[in-house]
Amino acid sequence: MAGISAVAWAPDSKTIASGSDDKAIRLWDRVTGRPMKPKPLLGHHSYVYCLAFSPKGNILASGSYDEAVFLWDVRAGRLMRSLPAHSDPVSGIDFSQDGTLVVSCSTDGLTRIWDTSTGQCLRTLVHEDNPPITSVCFAPNGRYVLAFSMDSCLRLWDYVSGTVKKTYSGHTNEGFSIGGCFGSVQGEPFIAAPSEDGEIVLWDVKNKEVVQRIKGHNGVCFWVDVHEDTMASAGQDGRIRVYKHQSPEPAVKDINGVAGVDEALSDLAVTEPLIKNEDIKQET
Amino acid sequence: MNLLLSDDYLLQDYPENITNTIRSGHTTCLRFNRKGDYLASGRVDGTVVVWDLETMGVAQKLRGHRAAITSLSWSRCGRYLLSACQGWRAVLWDLENGTRFREVRFRAPIYTAELHPWNHKLFVASVFDEAPSLVDLSDPNDVKHTLPSAPRRANADADAATKEKQAKEDAKQMTTATVWTVTGDHILAGTNKGRLNIIDPNTHEIIWSEKICSSVVTTLRLTGSGRELLANSQDRIIRTFHVPNLSAEDLDTDTIQMPLEHKFQDVVNRLSWNHVTFSATGEYVAASTYNNHELYIWERNHGSLVRMLEGPKEEQGVIEWHPHRAMLAACGLETGRIYIWSVTSPQRWSALAPDFVEVEENVEYIEREDEFDIHPQEEIVKRRLDLEDEDIDVLTTDLRKGYDEDSGVTDFRMPVLYDLGASDSEEEFVAVSTGTVRRRSMGEAEGGEDAEEDKPTAGKKPPASKSSKSKKK
Repeated sequence: MAGISAVAWAPDSKTIASGSDDKAIRLWDRVTGRPMKPKPLLGHHSYVYCLAFSPKGNILASGSYDEAVFLWDVRAGRLMRSLPAHSDPVSGIDFSQDGTLVVSCSTDGLTRIWDTSTGQCLRTLVHEDNPPITSVCFAPNGRYVLAFSMDSCLRLWDYVSGTVKKTYSGHTNEGFSIGGCFGSVQGEPFIAAPSEDGEIVLWDVKNKEVVQRIKGHNGVCFWVDVHEDTMASAGQDGRIRVYKHQSPEPAVKDINGVAGVDEALSDLAVTEPLIKNEDIKQET
Repeated sequence: MNLLLSDDYLLQDYPENITNTIRSGHTTCLRFNRKGDYLASGRVDGTVVVWDLETMGVAQKLRGHRAAITSLSWSRCGRYLLSACQGWRAVLWDLENGTRFREVRFRAPIYTAELHPWNHKLFVASVFDEAPSLVDLSDPNDVKHTLPSAPRRANADADAATKEKQAKEDAKQMTTATVWTVTGDHILAGTNKGRLNIIDPNTHEIIWSEKICSSVVTTLRLTGSGRELLANSQDRIIRTFHVPNLSAEDLDTDTIQMPLEHKFQDVVNRLSWNHVTFSATGEYVAASTYNNHELYIWERNHGSLVRMLEGPKEEQGVIEWHPHRAMLAACGLETGRIYIWSVTSPQRWSALAPDFVEVEENVEYIEREDEFDIHPQEEIVKRRLDLEDEDIDVLTTDLRKGYDEDSGVTDFRMPVLYDLGASDSEEEFVAVSTGTVRRRSMGEAEGGEDAEEDKPTAGKKPPASKSSKSKKK
C-alpha cells in the first residue's frame, strides 16, 4: 500500500488521475471505479507529488520527488516530455487556461513557467527571500500565477514582467504543503487558502484584505477548492467539509461579495460512505 | 498565453527542419483543422486518422471507407470531418463520438469534397468523369444538385455548325477541383481544360469563367482572407490570383476580374508539382515536387524562391501548411509517413536564472546611488508591500492573443479516448530541444504498453529522503 499524494480531475470529469508513493500515476474511471488503462503511467523515479490535466484533457503533467516534471500523452499512456525542472521535490503544478503554459514550483523556492509544446522553460520566478513554495496555480484568466510559500504568504506573480503584484498574508503556513485556489462570487474574485490553525482564509484579490475567516478543521487544514458557490476543504481531522455561499441580504450587501459564506454545510468523514460526493465532483 | 513570453516572432515564418515523423498506415491525404490543434490524415486502406498535434499521438481512428482517401475537409467548429475516397463515397464524421453522421454515394471516384465554410450540412464535390455536385444534407435524404462544368455561351445567334462544335467542347469540360469562397457565397471550380469557373450555389449556374491555364487544374486553394487563389495545374506552373470581393452587393458578373499575380515554376528542371499550399497568411506558397524529394517554398510578395526543403529520401505528395504557425505537414508517397516540418526556437538560458539577462555585447555596469545602502528589514518589506497597489484583473481573458477571432463558434472538445490500442506514432528520431528528453517509443508501439522508461535526467540525483516527504502527513 502506497500513500497517495495527488489527485486530479480530467476536464470532462470522467477520469481521475492519482499519483502515489509507488512512483506510479493511475487513471481511474469515475463511473466504474476501475483503472482506465491496464497499466499505470510509470516513469518517475520517486514519489509522485502533484498532478494536473491540461484543459483539453489530452496531456497530464506530473511533478515528483525526483525533481522532474513529466508531460504524459493521456490517450496513449506515453511519456511525452520530461523536464529537468527543479533541484528539490516538485511540490505543485498547474496548466494555464488555454493549455499552452505549465507552471511548476518546488521547495527550492523557484516557480517555473514552461511552454507545453516545446518543453522549454520560459520564465523562472524567485522571490528575494527564497521561501520554499508548496503549491502554485494560474489565475482564472491565466495572466498571473499564485504561489503558496512557507513564509505564511501567498504571492501573486505577473510572470511576464517577473514581479510580485500582490502579497497576501494572514494565514499560517510554515511546515505543511497546503494549497488553495481562486474563486469568484458575483463577478468579484477572491482567493481561498487553508491555514495550519485549521481556518480557511478568504482574501479580496485587489486590495489584499482578508474578507472572511472560516473555522474549518481541528488541526491543520490542508487544502481548499472552490467551484462557483461551493467550497470544499480537507483537514488533518480526517474530514472533508463542504460550504455553500449565501448571498447576503440585499440591505446589508457586502461590497466584497464574498462575505456570508455559511458555516460548513455538511461534513464528509472519510471513514463513512461518501453520501454527498456529488458536491465535490466538479473541479473547474 | 505562451505568446506573451516567447519571442517566436523573431523566428522566421517558414519551416526549416523536420521536427516529427508520425505514421499510421500509408497516408495519402492530410488536412489541418481550423484551429490548428488537430491534423486529419487519410490512409490507403480507407481509414481516417485524427492526430492531436500537441501530443503527436492518434486522437481518433475512423473506419468506414474501403478505398484510398482522396480528400478531407473540416467543419468550422472542428466537430465534423468530411472524407471522400476513391470508392465512390463521401462520409461526414461526427468526432464527438466517432460515428458516421452521414454517408453519400456517388457514381465515380471523388477528386475533392469540400464542406461549406459555415454550414457543415452542405458540401461540394468534384467527381471523376462526372459533373460536380452540390450536396445538401439538411434533410434525412441527401439532395444532390448537379453543377455545370462548361461556361454559358454569349453568342446565341451563332450558326448551327458553331453551336454543335461548342457543344462538343463543352461536353469535354470536366470539373477536377472545387473550393468554396470564404463567405460560402460562391464555388470556385477548375476544369480539365484549364478553365476556372465561378458557380453560384443558389442558382447552380456559372456566373464567370475564364481559361487560366492550358492543362488540368489539379488543386485550388484560398488564403484565410479569401483574397488570393492558388491554382496548381498539370502544365507545371503554379499560379496565384487576386480574387475580387464576390459577395459585394453590386457584383456585376460581366466585369469580374481575376488578375494573375504570380507564376511559379522551375524553368531549369521543368518540374511539375504534386500538391501546393498557401502559408497561414498567404505570404508563402509551398509545393511538393513530382519525381523529386524537395519541397519548394516561394515568397509571394516578390515571387521569389526562398527555400528548398530537403529531408526524407522520397517523393512527397500532399502537403499542408498549418493555419497559423510556421508548420508544414507532408506525406511521403513511398512509405506513407507524415513529416512535420517546423521551426525550433532555441532555449533562452536567462529564463532559467532570473538574475541573469542575455546581452548581445558587453555592457558597462553603473552602480545605482543607493545600491549598497543598508535599510532595516521591516522597512524593506513594508516598502515592498506598499508598492503593490496596482489594479489586478484575474478574470478577464485577453482574447487578442488567441487565434480564434470568431468566438461565436460552439466550443467543441475532442473526446479523450483510452482504447485506441497501441499508438501508431513512430518516433525513431525526435528533435530534442535543449533541456528536454524524449524517449523513442518504437517498442511501446509494437508490444502494447511498455513499463520501462529510459530517462536519464531524473536518475542522476538521489531521490529525496522519506523524512522530508512526511511533512505532508
